[in-house]
Order: sequence, then C-alpha cells, then structure tokens
Amino acid sequence: MTVELATRLIDVLGGLLLFTMLLILAAGQVFRAIYAVAAQAAFLGVAGAVLAAATGNVDLWVIAGITVVAKAVLLPWLLIRVVRRVRIAREIEPVIPVHLTLTIAAGIVVLAFHLNASLGPVRQAITGNALPVGVTLILIGVLVMASRRKALVQMVGLFASENGIFFTAMAVSQGMPLIIEIGVILDVVLGALVMGILVLRVRSSVDADIADLESLRG
Amino acid sequence: MTSHLLWIAPLVPFAAGLVMLLVRDRRVLAALDVAASLAVLGLALAVARAVSEHGAVTALGVFRADALAVVFLVLVGLLAVAVSIATVGWMRREVARGEMREDRLRFYFALVHGFVATMVVTVLSDNLGILWIAMEGTTITSALLVGFHGDRHGLEAAWKYIIVTTIGISFGLFGTVLYYGAAAHAQGGVFAGAMNWSSISAIADRLDPGIVRIGFVFVMVGYGTKAGLAPVHMWLPDAHSQAPTPVSALLSGALIKCALFGIIRFHGIARDACGPEFSHGLLLAFGLVSVVVATPFIIVQHDLKRLLGYHSVEHVGIIALGLGFGGRLGTYGALLHVINHGVTKALVFLIAGDAIGRYGTRDMRLMKGFLGVAPIAGTLLLMGAFSLAGTPPFSVFVSELMVIRAGIATGRWVSVAVFLAMVVIIFAGLVHHVGQLAFGAADGHVERGREPLSPLVALVLLAIVMVLFGVWIPIEPDRVLSAATEIVVG
Repeated sequence: MTVELATRLIDVLGGLLLFTMLLILAAGQVFRAIYAVAAQAAFLGVAGAVLAAATGNVDLWVIAGITVVAKAVLLPWLLIRVVRRVRIAREIEPVIPVHLTLTIAAGIVVLAFHLNASLGPVRQAITGNALPVGVTLILIGVLVMASRRKALVQMVGLFASENGIFFTAMAVSQGMPLIIEIGVILDVVLGALVMGILVLRVRSSVDADIADLESLRG
Repeated sequence: MTSHLLWIAPLVPFAAGLVMLLVRDRRVLAALDVAASLAVLGLALAVARAVSEHGAVTALGVFRADALAVVFLVLVGLLAVAVSIATVGWMRREVARGEMREDRLRFYFALVHGFVATMVVTVLSDNLGILWIAMEGTTITSALLVGFHGDRHGLEAAWKYIIVTTIGISFGLFGTVLYYGAAAHAQGGVFAGAMNWSSISAIADRLDPGIVRIGFVFVMVGYGTKAGLAPVHMWLPDAHSQAPTPVSALLSGALIKCALFGIIRFHGIARDACGPEFSHGLLLAFGLVSVVVATPFIIVQHDLKRLLGYHSVEHVGIIALGLGFGGRLGTYGALLHVINHGVTKALVFLIAGDAIGRYGTRDMRLMKGFLGVAPIAGTLLLMGAFSLAGTPPFSVFVSELMVIRAGIATGRWVSVAVFLAMVVIIFAGLVHHVGQLAFGAADGHVERGREPLSPLVALVLLAIVMVLFGVWIPIEPDRVLSAATEIVVG
C-alpha cells in the first residue's frame, strides 16, 4: 500500500470516526450510543490495519486486532449487560439541549483543524488528519460526559474520547510500542469493569443512577 | 545489583497484596501490611543511597531512579509505613463497630498494597507510557478503596473520582502521544527509547515547539486533574472525605504528589523545547487558581475531612506556584513542600479519622474539646493544623516562605500578593475551625478511651519529620532535594 493511499484511507476513516461521534452526541437512547461507540471502535481497528499495511509494522496488526476485540466487542458487551441488569430508563435526558451541544461540537471541530493548521513540518510525523480528528473526538467525548446525567452514557463518552487518543497514537510515526498499547488497553478494560461494579452496587443499594447522585456538595 | 532494586521495589507491595488475598485473620493481615510497608520504605531508602552514590540508576529502559524520583519514592514509602501502623488500630475499631466486615478485610489490604505498588511504578518509570499506565492503575485501585464502605456517599464519591480522573488522565495520554510524535519527528523516525523521559529530554531543544506546546496543555490538564489542581479538582474533596481514613491519608499525602511528579517530568521537556515562559506561566495560572478557589470552601466548611480535602487543593496549588516561579529557590521550595505537605496532611488526616471515630460525627460544630478527650492526638492535631496554616517553626512555613521569596525574586508581584492574601484568610479559617475542635468541653457521649499505641506511633513518627524539617533540614535530604532541583531546573 502506498503512503498516499494510506493517507487518503486514514482521512476517510477519520471522517467516519467523526460521524459516529456525532451519532453518540445526538443519541436519544442508551443502546444507540453503545452501538455507535462499538462501530467507532471497529473503524479504529480498520485504521490500525491500514496503517499496519502501509508501514509494514507487525505490531500494528496486533494492536488493530486487540482494539477490535477489546473495544468493539468486549466493552460494548459489558455496557449492554450492565444496562440490562440495571433496567434503567433508556431515554437519555440531556442537561444541555441537543442542538446546543451540536453547535459546541461544530466549534470544537473548527478549533481542532485550525490548531492543526498552525503546526509546522512536524505535521508529517502524524499521518493525514489524525491529529485534529483525535483532538475533536477527545473534546466531544468530554462534552458528552458533561452534558448527560446517565452513568452508562458518561462511560460511552469516555470510551469515545479514548478512541480519539488511540487513533492519533496509531498514526504517530509507527504507532506506540506494542507493550504500551497493551498496557493502556488493559487499563481501559479494568477501569470499565470497576465503573460497572460501582453502577451495579448503587443500583442494588439505593436504586438510583450513580451519575445522578448529588448529595456531596460545597 | 542496584538496577534490580528498581524491579523489586514495586514487586514487593504487589506480591504482598496477592498474598493478602489468601489470609483471613485480621491480625495476620495487619502484620503483613506493616511488614510490606516497612519493606517498601527500606527499598526506597536503598534506592536513595544507590542514587546518591552512583547518580541515576536505570533498569532496561523502563525504570529510572534519579534524585527527583527519590524524593517522591521516599515520601510514598514513609507514608505507607505510617498509614499501615495507623491502620492496625483503626481497623480494630472499624471491625468492632461493624463498619467493616471481617470477611472482606483481605480485599481492603490487598487493594491498599496494589495502590502503593502502582504509585511506586509511577515515580520510578522512565518510559512515559508506563508512567501513564501506572497513574491510571492508581485510579483503578484507589477508586475501589474510596467506595469500599459501600454506602451511598462513598459510592457517589468513588464514581465521581473514577470518571473525572479517568477522562482527565486520558488527556495526559494524548499529551504523551504528542511528545512521542515530536521526539520521533526530531530524530527522523522511531528510535530506541523514543518514549523514555531520559532520551526525550536529551533532545528536548530540537523538538518542534508547536506540538510540544499543545502536548503540554493536555498533560497539564490531564495530570493536573489527578493532582487536584483547580479548576479540575471537583472530584478531590468528595473522594478524600469519603474514603476510609487511611486511604484519605495516602490520597492526599502521596497520590496527588505522584501526579505532580508526572507534570514535573513533562514540564522540563516543555521548557527546553518552547522556552521557559510557556510552561512556567501555565503552572503559575493553575497554582494561583487553585489557591484562590480553595479559600472560600475552607472558610465555610463544617465537614472535617472535606476541610482537609480543600486544603489539599490549596497546597497542590502552592507547589504549582513554586514550580511556576521557577529558579532554584522556587523549585527547591516546591519539592520541599511536596514532602512537608505530604507528611503533615497524612498526620492530620489520621488524627481526623481518630476524632471522627470518637465523636461519631464529622461535623466540626458538634465536635468540641478534643484536647481533653485525647490529649496527645489533640496536641499533635494543633501542631499539624498550625503547620498546615503556615506557622513557624513547622515545616510547611519553611517551604511556603521559599515559594514566596522565589515569587518576589522573579518580580511576580501580583501573584505573590494574591497568594499572601489567600494564605492569611486560610490561616484565620483553619485556626478557627481547629480551635473549635480542640478546645471547650466535650459532650458526655464521646468515647474517651485511652489512646492506643496505634495510631499513636504513626502520628509521632510523622510529627517528628514535620518538626524536624521545620527547624533544620538534615544533610542527606538536603542533598537529594538540591540534586532534584538541578534536574528540574536543567
């Protein structure tokens, strides 16, 4: 695979990542947000495979495989299990109206690409537009977390943010060292497990959404 | 031989944690706890000696101990020992009251040592990726500890803690990726150790300033969240106040310092890559905002442990200010403040836990006459509070003075003035709160039992360090701090 083709494919995949991010942001149902983040992780895996073919780095194949297994299958499965167990109301009530969050998201996209344009030749170190797409995903993920009072949706926002980081990390030079990527993914999965435990414990003891508790103030 | 030490240091608490999972007896667990913590402190001191004799020690390009790491490593070891000793008595009381179920004790102790092990890895790692993985590891282990009691408040605090710091720290990972990209670009491709702090800082002046600047902003927000710097501190007062007391002491004393350690590592590279103004200015801004934001919450607080939590925000801010003022004096003051605040805050948290146990409440308006209830702990509480408020002859005064002098030396008059005003207000607030707690006559229902050896031994140990560093800094720590300052100043 030539470098030009890889760059074009990465940009297409970056566009798909942004599109799934908007689906998460606009999702009115917990399940839709979970499916969107699973699709996003699958695109991320494809991006890893494209970069592996372009750079000939075997480690990236492994990383792409782990990404698909852990982030496109395992984590969504975990989330769906938790949703079924807690039997929460599945509609998402945003704290900020959806059209406002979408406007903020548009602002974030413009800002990220503007930031990228301000960089000099160092941009060559990162394939295509992976840097601005990564920044956009991270910030919109935070927006999702801040604008929803549902534990499960906050977790989806977190995973979407992390997808952005992984996307940029894969596109930097030849990706991060394999052992680091594995450690990071392990942390992500363990963190998700602990969050799941907390959500279930609150549901079994006080019958409320953990993200909706607000007795600790001041 | 010495490089083996770097492997053994995190492995000991990790292995101890695994062994604890097999033990069910409270006394055996507590003994293991103290023994493992003593081993961590012993290893930390051995590493310190090796570093002062041979300079920086490395192991396989993953771990690296220099004077800067030693400062934080010894602090983690010292606090682990003090907290373990205090846990013996604390746990006896919790079990007797039915607050802690005996069959779940082993998970508690195992998690504490997993937590200590991840902190040790954090401060010893040379690879910035490992640094991040270990830092996120501290979140995972300690979030379970924060919510360990399983009550509504504890779980709420644990959720806020894990969700805010995980998203925060992922900003730190993004910053790390950008640093890595900048280093690979400067060398024309990936090279051995491209993610290592030692190799990146060696070529720091050739890194692209634009991308490092973006990277440092992400690092500052990310690790700053974990360090409890305002305005991304919102998890800290909840987690520090709801956690079991020994865990609060570790969170406030050691963990937030480990996050600062990460910031210091990245700060050095950013300064060489984009000039001093940028990262110094950012540290200064975060530090000043932290001090200012914490002040009103300290004044109006009634919950004893929340008060101490907000107080940690203030002190992390002071450390950031010291680093932001920069120069040898400011940096030395900041590093000294890391130790002083860590020791003093752990001391006060442990006493607060004892007081809350005796009064059965954490509302300071209902707690009176602690000095009469527990004379020794009460005296130490007064000393600790005056130290936290920045009164001589205690240690915090010395490091705060250095930070202020550094600010004056660099001519940052506005920052110094705001800082001084806040410190005066906080002094008044803290002395008012603690005075209420210490003096007066206690109600009849307060538990007036004698003061047991645990936590007393731990309290005295911490108080000795607190007073000693206020009067005179011993030669060895002074040498390590000076060497660490040279590493930061570059």
